[in-house]
Amino acid sequence: MTEAKELMQRYCDGDAGAFRELYALLAPRLLGYLVRMARERALAEDLLQQTFLKVHRARAAYVRGADPVPWIYAIAHRTFLDEARRGRRATVRVGEVETLPEVPAGLTGESDDRRDEVRGDPELMAAALDALAALPVAQREAVVLTKLDGKSVAEAAEIAGTTVGAMKVRAHRGYVALRKLLGKSEPGKHAGEEP
Amino acid sequence: MSASDLSPPGLPPLPGALESELAQLAPVRTRRPVRQLAMVVAVSLLYGAGLVVMLTIRRDLDELPVGWLIGAGLLWLLGFAVPLYLATVPRSGSMMPRWRLAGLTAAIAAIAAISLGMMLHPLGPNSVVLGWQSVTRGYGCLLHGLETAIVPVIAGTLALRRALPVGARWIAAALGASGGSLGGLVLHLHCPVADGLHVGLIHGGSIVAAAVLAAALVPRATEVR
Repeated sequence: MTEAKELMQRYCDGDAGAFRELYALLAPRLLGYLVRMARERALAEDLLQQTFLKVHRARAAYVRGADPVPWIYAIAHRTFLDEARRGRRATVRVGEVETLPEVPAGLTGESDDRRDEVRGDPELMAAALDALAALPVAQREAVVLTKLDGKSVAEAAEIAGTTVGAMKVRAHRGYVALRKLLGKSEPGKHAGEEP
Repeated sequence: MSASDLSPPGLPPLPGALESELAQLAPVRTRRPVRQLAMVVAVSLLYGAGLVVMLTIRRDLDELPVGWLIGAGLLWLLGFAVPLYLATVPRSGSMMPRWRLAGLTAAIAAIAAISLGMMLHPLGPNSVVLGWQSVTRGYGCLLHGLETAIVPVIAGTLALRRALPVGARWIAAALGASGGSLGGLVLHLHCPVADGLHVGLIHGGSIVAAAVLAAALVPRATEVR
């Protein structure tokens, strides 16, 4: 992502405006990821703030010319896991959140830049997001990163700090569990029919 | 909730602490992995050479096969350089650590050093053979190995401070294994004990000990916090 790279370089050179642009560019996607993982909007916002605070403190670790996005995602991922370990995880389910910060990329995994393309059935999507909350954290993360955020399995594995093989297994199991959950919640519909 | 309601709402404001820091944002020196690696290697090798001089060269050095001396020395050097490179230098265009490869090479270095040390340990007239005692009394060598590992581990930690969002423990283990290998090289040039158990378990074991210690102590400094 060239834009993020350029903004990060300008930010490291002392341009505060570049940081704000970077925040505007990445925060919506990160907040979407964190909402899906934390299952509570307020907690996700708090985690997003913590993530960017950490990015700021660690900005000297930036390697010029490198893509900062997976690094920032991984910081968000670690921030969420630390929070979850502290036992302060939210109990509110995604389905109870009034709004999500961004339009999810679609269950078939289309990425942000394809957001204008036709998306799936809105009801099915809402049900899928609801079912997502029932998955174990590792599987939920794998599904969110690979199916909703449109990351490749390799990118998702890099962000989550796991192997490509393990990420494939998690994503597959999560997707199977999700389909099962959707099948139960909506007997007339099957997630497998999603284009 | 329907998906049509999923419109992008406003983002949360930046934390106050961050806003005030942004108001007086100064340029920072960003990480240069290759330069840092060169620095860590140079400092570590100088320190290792200093230790060899301080501890004195092994007395049976000129009695041992040159091929073995050079070959084993190069293997120790490889065990030092490869995990260190993978731990400190990310792939081109990426900031993410290569923790899997680094951890794997650390494990390979440890296994290779222990097994080769046990199998290949030529003997000269002035070499020392202690039998089992070479293991039970091997703490001196282990200590020298760990002393040597301190500098590469600290230098590597400084290069990676607050840079690793994932895999920090594996990277730390790789730094430790790298330092332990340098320790093995120092012992290769210093210690005249020629028992396979000693060379394998104590000299090679310094890789394991340094990797375990580094994995326990270093991640806190290198993780993004």
